[in-house]
Amino acid sequence: MTPEQTKAFEEKVYTFVGKPIYKGPRRGYDDVNSAMIRQWCEVMGEKNPAYVDQDWAEKSTRGHLIAPPAMMYAWTQEGYKVASEGRPTDGQVEMVKFFDSHGFSGSLGTNVDQEYFAEAKVGDAIFEESVIESISEQKTTARGVGYFFETYAKFTNQDDVLLGTQRFRVFKFIPPEQEEAAPTNSDTLEIPTRVAAPRGQDNKWWWDACDEGKILIQRCASCGALRHPPRPMCGVCQSTEWDTIESSLDGELFSFVEMHHPKFPGYQYPLLVGVISLAEGTRIIANVVGCDVKDVEIGMKLKGKVERVDEKTILPQFYPVNN
Amino acid sequence: MTINVSGEAAIAGVANTEFSKNSGVSELELASVAVRDAIADAGLKPSDVDGMTTFTLDNTDEIEIARAVGIGDLTFYSRVPHGGGAATGLVHQAVMAVATGMAEVVVCYRALNGRSGHRYSSGVAGPLLTSDAIHWGWYTPYGLMTPASWVAMYTQRYMHLAEDVQDAMFEIAHVQRQYAAKNPAAFFYQRPFDRADYDASRPIVSPFKMLDCCMETDGGSAVVVTTAERAKDLKHPAVIVKGVAQAAAADMESMTSFYRPEIARIPSMDIAAKMAYEQSGLCADDIDAAVIYDAFTPIVLWQLESWGFCDLLEAPKFVLDGALRSDGRLPTNTHGGQLSEAYIHGVNGIVEATRLVRGQSVNQPAKEVNNVLVTSGVGVPTGGALLGRSD
Amino acid sequence: MKTLNYTDVSIGDKIPDLDIPITASLISCAALATRDFEPCHHDKTVAQSMGLPDVFMNILTSQALMARFVTDWSGPEAVMKALKVKLGAPNVPGMTMTVSGEIVEKNDNEKSIKVDVTGENNIWGMHMSGSVQIALP
Repeated sequence: MTPEQTKAFEEKVYTFVGKPIYKGPRRGYDDVNSAMIRQWCEVMGEKNPAYVDQDWAEKSTRGHLIAPPAMMYAWTQEGYKVASEGRPTDGQVEMVKFFDSHGFSGSLGTNVDQEYFAEAKVGDAIFEESVIESISEQKTTARGVGYFFETYAKFTNQDDVLLGTQRFRVFKFIPPEQEEAAPTNSDTLEIPTRVAAPRGQDNKWWWDACDEGKILIQRCASCGALRHPPRPMCGVCQSTEWDTIESSLDGELFSFVEMHHPKFPGYQYPLLVGVISLAEGTRIIANVVGCDVKDVEIGMKLKGKVERVDEKTILPQFYPVNN
Repeated sequence: MTINVSGEAAIAGVANTEFSKNSGVSELELASVAVRDAIADAGLKPSDVDGMTTFTLDNTDEIEIARAVGIGDLTFYSRVPHGGGAATGLVHQAVMAVATGMAEVVVCYRALNGRSGHRYSSGVAGPLLTSDAIHWGWYTPYGLMTPASWVAMYTQRYMHLAEDVQDAMFEIAHVQRQYAAKNPAAFFYQRPFDRADYDASRPIVSPFKMLDCCMETDGGSAVVVTTAERAKDLKHPAVIVKGVAQAAAADMESMTSFYRPEIARIPSMDIAAKMAYEQSGLCADDIDAAVIYDAFTPIVLWQLESWGFCDLLEAPKFVLDGALRSDGRLPTNTHGGQLSEAYIHGVNGIVEATRLVRGQSVNQPAKEVNNVLVTSGVGVPTGGALLGRSD
Repeated sequence: MKTLNYTDVSIGDKIPDLDIPITASLISCAALATRDFEPCHHDKTVAQSMGLPDVFMNILTSQALMARFVTDWSGPEAVMKALKVKLGAPNVPGMTMTVSGEIVEKNDNEKSIKVDVTGENNIWGMHMSGSVQIALP
C-alpha cells in the first residue's frame, strides 16, 4: 500500500470503532443445559462436581449446579452454519471482510480477557451484547503488518443480571507469501533441536570430541600456549603445529546472561549462558544449569559435564559447585 | 611522508529520509532519496559527486543509486565491514579519498528496511552460510545468538565492577527519549516514558529491558564529504572533519570478544579515540557535545570512558550527574539516538553531529558548540570522528 | 471433594504441572463442544491451506483447559473471577502441552487469589500464558 492508500484505508476502517456487532442483545440458541455442559466437561477432562454432579451440588454452598464460567462465550456462538455456508453477516464480519479485501486477510486471536460477576445456572438464558471497541494503529509483528482490533462483550441472563464481560483481541495482517502452503505431515512433526555449530576444517575435531564427552583445549606444539576457540595458527609463535589437552571442566563464572526474548524453539527456559574461565586458563561459553538465576553470581565455582541436551545436541553444561 | 587528514575534508550536506516501521518502498528508493537530499543540502548537483561509500551490509549497490540519482562518473567507491561499526568508517574512507585527490565529492549512505524487512534482533539462528558461521557456532548451541545477548554479557561484567550501572542505563534511555519527544522526525516523538515504565518494560536479555534496546527502523541517511576548500563556498558553513579513525583491537571477535583479560570495556574505541585526538590536536575538554552509538544503553558508558570524559568505571557517575542532558557537560544524542530517533546504524548520528556543529539540531544546546564527537557501533571493529567549525 | 481455604495458599505456591497430549480428536471435539465450528479446527485441509500442519486448538478450548487446571487444584467451591489468556504458538496434534501455574497475588478483602498460568508445548514453545483469578472459602 502507498501511504495515500493506507490513509484512505484507515479513514474507513476506523469508522467501525464503536459499532455494535449485533442488533440488540443476542440470545444463545440454547439456554444453559446439562447436555451441553456434560459434553464440554467430557472433552475438557473436567471432573468438577459443581458442573456435573447433581447430588454434590445440592449439598454444596451454592445448592445447585452451575455452568463452567469458561463456557460463557460458547452459549452465544453461531453453529454449524459457520462451516457449512459461512459465518452470517454481523458488525464484526463486515469489518473483517473490509480488512480481508485490503489484503489484511490473516487473522490471529491474540488475547481474551474474561471477568465473571455471577455464575450461570441450568435453565438460564444467555444474552450477549458486543461492540467493536478499538482498532490499533498499524503494527508490525513477527506475523506481518496489520492492525489489532478488540471487541467488548457483555453477557447477561434473563433477569438482566450481568454474568460477565469479555475483551477479545485479534490481529488482522497481510500474510507473508506462502510457499505452496507447505502441507507438513503431522506424523513427521519434528521436535526442534538447538542450532548446531557448523563444522569446518578448523573446528570439526573439537565438536567430534565433544560428541564423545570430552572438552579439548588446543595447545601449540611449538610453544605450548593454549587457545580457545580453536584456530589454525598460534598467535604467539605462528606455528601451525598443535595438539590438545582435555579440560578438567573446573571453572569459575566470569560473566553471564539470562535469555528472555525472543525465545527460540529447541531451547529450554530459563536459559542461562555464561563466560566461564577454565582452570587450564582458557575461557569457554556454555550454559549454566542446575541452579536458580538468583543464586548465580560472577566468581562462583562451576563444574562442567558434557551432556546430551536434545536428540541431536551434546554440549558442555556447567553446574554450581557446592562449597 | 605522512599525511594528516585533519582539516582536509568537511561535511557539506546531510539528510535523513522519513523513519518508519514500514516504509512501503524499496531500500534503493530510501537510499536514493537520502543521497539526493544530502547533495541538495550541500548546495551541490548530483553530477558533482564522484565518490560513494557505504556498509558491506548495505543491500543497495552504489552504481544503482548513482543511476537513480543521476550521479555521473565515479572514481572512488568503498565499503566498510562490521555492521554498525562502519558508521564513521564511511566518513573515514571519504576523507582519505578527498584528502588524496582520489575524489572530490563523496556521498556516504546507509538505507535499510530494518523493521519491515530483515530484523537484526531475530538473531543469527537459521541457515548460516557466511564465512563467520564457525565463529557463531561457539555461541548459538547455547542460545547466545542475538545482539542483545552478546552486549548483555559485557554489561553483566561491568555491573560486577562498577556502581549504579542500571540507574545510569535508565538515565541514558530516559534523557534520549526526552530529546526524541521533542524531535518531530523521531520515531518516539511526543512519547516520553518514566522510571516506572522503564522498570516495567519487558526483559529481553538480563540485565536488558526493552527500553535499553534500540528500535529497528525503516529509513536512510546520507552525508556528503568534500574538500575543506570546496566546502567553504557551499550552502552551509563547512563542518570540518578534524579527526577520524578506525580500529579493531587485538584478540577481537565480532561481538563476542569474551577472551580478553577484562571485557567490561572497549579497547578498539580506546585506540580510535587516541588516534582521532592526536590527528586533531583536541582533547576531551574541547568536545562540547556528542553523538555516541547507542544500540543498547550501556555501550554509551564504555565509550564515554574510551574518549576520556571520565575514568574507567566512572561513567555511571558522569551520566548520573546529568552530563548528557541539554544543560550538562556533554549533551549527547540530542536527536534521541538510535534508542529513540531511529536505528540507521549510526549514520543518522553523523547527520545529527553535523547539525550540532551547524547549530541546527532540533535540541540545540544553549551553549556554544564548536566540536562534536560521533562514534560507530561497538563490540565490532569500530571508529569515531571529531567534527568541528572551521577555525 | 475438598476445596482449599484462602488461608491454605501462599504467594509463590506452585500448582503441579499437568501434561495434556494434543490429539486431532481433542482439538476437533473440543472445538465443537465450545460451539466453534470454524473449519480450521476440524478440517485438516483448511488448516493446511493456512500454512499449519494440521487442525489447531481453538481459543475457547485453551481457556477451558486453563480454567480446569486451576479448579482441579483448588477444588469445586472456588468461584472463578477472571480468566485472561494471551495466545502464542498453535497447539497441533502430536504435541504435548505442559501447563504450569504459580500463585502471584492474594487479595484479603475478597479472599481471592491470582494464579499465573502458562501452557507450553514441546514443539513450538509457549501456547498460552495468562492468569486465572478465583475466590476461595
